[in-house]
Amino acid sequence: MTLAPNTYTDIPYEEKAKLIEEVMADHRYGEHLYGCYECGICVAACPSARFYDFSPRKIAQAAARQDVELMYEQMNDDVWNCSQCFSCTRCPRGNNPGGIITVLREVAVRNGLASARDALEGYGRVVYKIMSTGTQVSPDMLQPNAFPDWGPHVKAISDNVETWRKALPPETLHTTSTAWNVDEKTIIELYLIWQATGVMDMIGEVDEGLHMILEDVMEDVLDEAGYET
Amino acid sequence: MSLELPVLKERRAERKNAPPPTEDVREKVFEIEAQGDWIVHRVPDDHVEVFTKYGRVKKIPRQNLWHHKSCGQCGHIPGYSTAIFWLMRKLGLAYEDPTDQTSCTAWNYYASATSNAAAQAGVAMRNFGAAYEAGNYPLIHCGTSYGHYKEVREELIHDPELRKQVKGIMEKLGKPFVMPEEIVHYSEWVYAMRRELANLKVLDFSDITATVHPACHYHKLVVEDAIYDRDIYDGQRTAVVTAVVEALGANIGEYSTWYDCCGFGFRHILVERDFTRSFAIERKIEVMKKEANPDVVLTHDTGCVTTLDQSQFAGRAHDRDVGIPVLSDAQFAALAMGAHPYKVCQLHWHNTDNKPLLEKMGIDHESKWAEFEEELRMIEAGEKEFLTWEDADG
Amino acid sequence: MAKDVLIVGGGPAGLHAARNIADIGGNAILVEQRDVLGGTPDEARYAALTPHLESAQDALDEMRAAVIDRPEIDLRLGSTVLESSGKAGDFKVSVAKNGGEAEQLDVGSVILTTGFQHFDPGRETQMYGYYENPDVITLVDAEKMLSKHEFVRPSNGEKPERVAFIQCVGSRDRRLGNEYCSKVCCGIASKEAIEIRKLLPDTKVYIFYIDMRMYGYWENQLYWPAQEEHNVIYVRGIVTEILKRGDRLLMKGEDTTMGRPMEVEMDVIVLSVGMEPSAGTREMARVFDIEKNKYGFIHTPGEPMDPVSTSVPGVYVAGAAAGPKDIEDSIGMASAAAMKALAMVRSAG
Repeated sequence: MTLAPNTYTDIPYEEKAKLIEEVMADHRYGEHLYGCYECGICVAACPSARFYDFSPRKIAQAAARQDVELMYEQMNDDVWNCSQCFSCTRCPRGNNPGGIITVLREVAVRNGLASARDALEGYGRVVYKIMSTGTQVSPDMLQPNAFPDWGPHVKAISDNVETWRKALPPETLHTTSTAWNVDEKTIIELYLIWQATGVMDMIGEVDEGLHMILEDVMEDVLDEAGYET
Repeated sequence: MSLELPVLKERRAERKNAPPPTEDVREKVFEIEAQGDWIVHRVPDDHVEVFTKYGRVKKIPRQNLWHHKSCGQCGHIPGYSTAIFWLMRKLGLAYEDPTDQTSCTAWNYYASATSNAAAQAGVAMRNFGAAYEAGNYPLIHCGTSYGHYKEVREELIHDPELRKQVKGIMEKLGKPFVMPEEIVHYSEWVYAMRRELANLKVLDFSDITATVHPACHYHKLVVEDAIYDRDIYDGQRTAVVTAVVEALGANIGEYSTWYDCCGFGFRHILVERDFTRSFAIERKIEVMKKEANPDVVLTHDTGCVTTLDQSQFAGRAHDRDVGIPVLSDAQFAALAMGAHPYKVCQLHWHNTDNKPLLEKMGIDHESKWAEFEEELRMIEAGEKEFLTWEDADG
Repeated sequence: MAKDVLIVGGGPAGLHAARNIADIGGNAILVEQRDVLGGTPDEARYAALTPHLESAQDALDEMRAAVIDRPEIDLRLGSTVLESSGKAGDFKVSVAKNGGEAEQLDVGSVILTTGFQHFDPGRETQMYGYYENPDVITLVDAEKMLSKHEFVRPSNGEKPERVAFIQCVGSRDRRLGNEYCSKVCCGIASKEAIEIRKLLPDTKVYIFYIDMRMYGYWENQLYWPAQEEHNVIYVRGIVTEILKRGDRLLMKGEDTTMGRPMEVEMDVIVLSVGMEPSAGTREMARVFDIEKNKYGFIHTPGEPMDPVSTSVPGVYVAGAAAGPKDIEDSIGMASAAAMKALAMVRSAG
């Protein structure tokens, strides 16, 4: 039962309860949540609490109360505000509200919640980059249209990126589409990890297009290397 | 008139460490090796002993390091990584810059949650296995990789099922299943080597004031591995970066929001940058300006350098009190030791104007830029393929 | 067989146990490592006792007078217990004057009243700048000032405009390993807040708390009067950090009632430090080979019906050597331990 107003009345309680059970069953959950006496240390240290209607104390409280309705609401409306800086781990009770959020997000993605899909909109190219190349950011991502608020300096980089990358003494950094030069064999190993751990299914829940492209890229590479896909 | 209180402060001199309130995770790491579950990659004999938060000793290897690079550093602020390598070369210490390394993928994980515990542990253990195969000890450049790998270590220790699953994956990849004895961040190496580095300094930094931003994922995530030092902040804040500034003869500027995060936010820096900008400007840069008016902000993590540096541009348009260059501790030490600001520290990749800082350091940035432009010209003209280490020090 | 009861520690519990034993016809040897009696309340110069605010020094004087020059009580000041052997009814204990030669004593039973020490807020896990800022003080430091009927900013001797108390420093903290409530700090902070308000009627005094633990009569002896008569301001929310800003202190926390982060300036901040086992308590646990609880205090396996027996027959404990206790607890335990210790001597004899 909940003490808070019910905000997602169109979703049956059983569906919410199933998701929250999935959260609580996560192996990390027991070490992320002990109890909460609402001292507020987590909020004082939290960057997101200063700019959003967000409170790590409320995350810990809802979890400590095992309030399914409230936790479901937070899973949709709050978790994407968290900065994942883990300043809240100063909690004297040993709670890790940021860690609870990591798990809540993961369950939201795995189950393809609409809020998770919305939150990840526009984020696909980053997921594509990290999963397909093994490095998350690359020099050629620094494009003025992607970072207009960083000023003309971004244009200077993108205009000169080929030469500037060659003007780096470490040999591994002469790349533009990856952060450094990653071996083909290493990439194959990375793909095998994604396949073996169900990450591809998670991607499929939140972004079918991205899932399809990634599957194609990975299949090509793995087929060529003699792995069954 | 100040009042002399015969208070508990007397105990300051005789303060002893209370028993650590946490288990020593390294004991568990060795227990799991004794069970035959994994191999422990031992810190080589050539190491420096330092103290962590609860007074335990941590071994920081001096050389034969396998550089676990940072995607954000290498991709967008490559002078950061280059400076770390340069410091090792300057000290004549052996290292490896591997290509059998992936990013830790934790930036994406903390941003999008499109991964899970097994995948994250798989990535970590694949990299650790690669370092072990290479016979060099992993040195982790990114604060988030460092923090995340410690989380992964805890998960693998406390969850035998996860351990079994990831071990199975490593077997399939043909990689050994290896956990390092210590998880070491490059800023810990810089801290441990700070006196050796300071011995080689060629510039006088006694007029330079730096504010230090300690990285959240360094000192807040699995806190007991972070370095603390009784001589720095009375042992109540992490000593990395700050101790290096002091060793190099520069000054520390104090500001009241030192504990706050930079505003990076993982997903926010990519898709909700209004938050990142506001936080970086209002809670960090402006507070530093007002309270310490430093010449430079120093930090020791990828996201923090990026956020604190890049966010200042938009602040200028809104007449905010911004304009402090942002560097890593490694770049700062390298400059003190005479590294080239563009060939080595690659400051042209940074955003906020750093020319006043260079002038105050006694570096002629105009002639240095001209030297660098000549290198660029030769590369473009095909006279040389790349800038080499020899060129960088030439 | 040995007739004497050995009492280790000359604070309130030890003094009261010695006096009780003498009053009911027994003999006690009281060993105290300092050269004076009175224990922590004397050493830390407590001003007034909770809850009635009577003079702590007057109360200690009365307790000391009750044990001095009594033939039934052998006082050994400046002495420590080094080793012990034997069993209930027949312990052989070596006691040495500090720096001197050890003397063997035969005692029938033992009462440990070795007390606690105040948590050191300069420890590595705290972010209150206790060692860095003279205006960050503890309850104990405040008590010393109040015992001289003054309360000033230690940095400049001036009258503070705003004073804050922070509760639960070193207590109720899993990360420190001190998971217990230290029991007395809420009352003492409220008491000191009242004293400051009486001395400095223009000074605002705040108490930042998680829960106010004002059990029993402390509610209307301290908590209500502090709020209703002395206008002490209670704010629910704990402070995460103290920093210097200009010549004042900046404290950060959350006002959990109002649900927002707070950053406010103060002139003096008093840390309500909790209790940890004293070095003497840890040492006596070793000497008498008795079990400690997970926090290092002496374990009392017979609780709740027997709060004074330890894991070793014939060795009893009273006061804060057994965990966080107020003076009432300590005095009550001292009487209970005196009864059991004397009964043990007599039954063995």
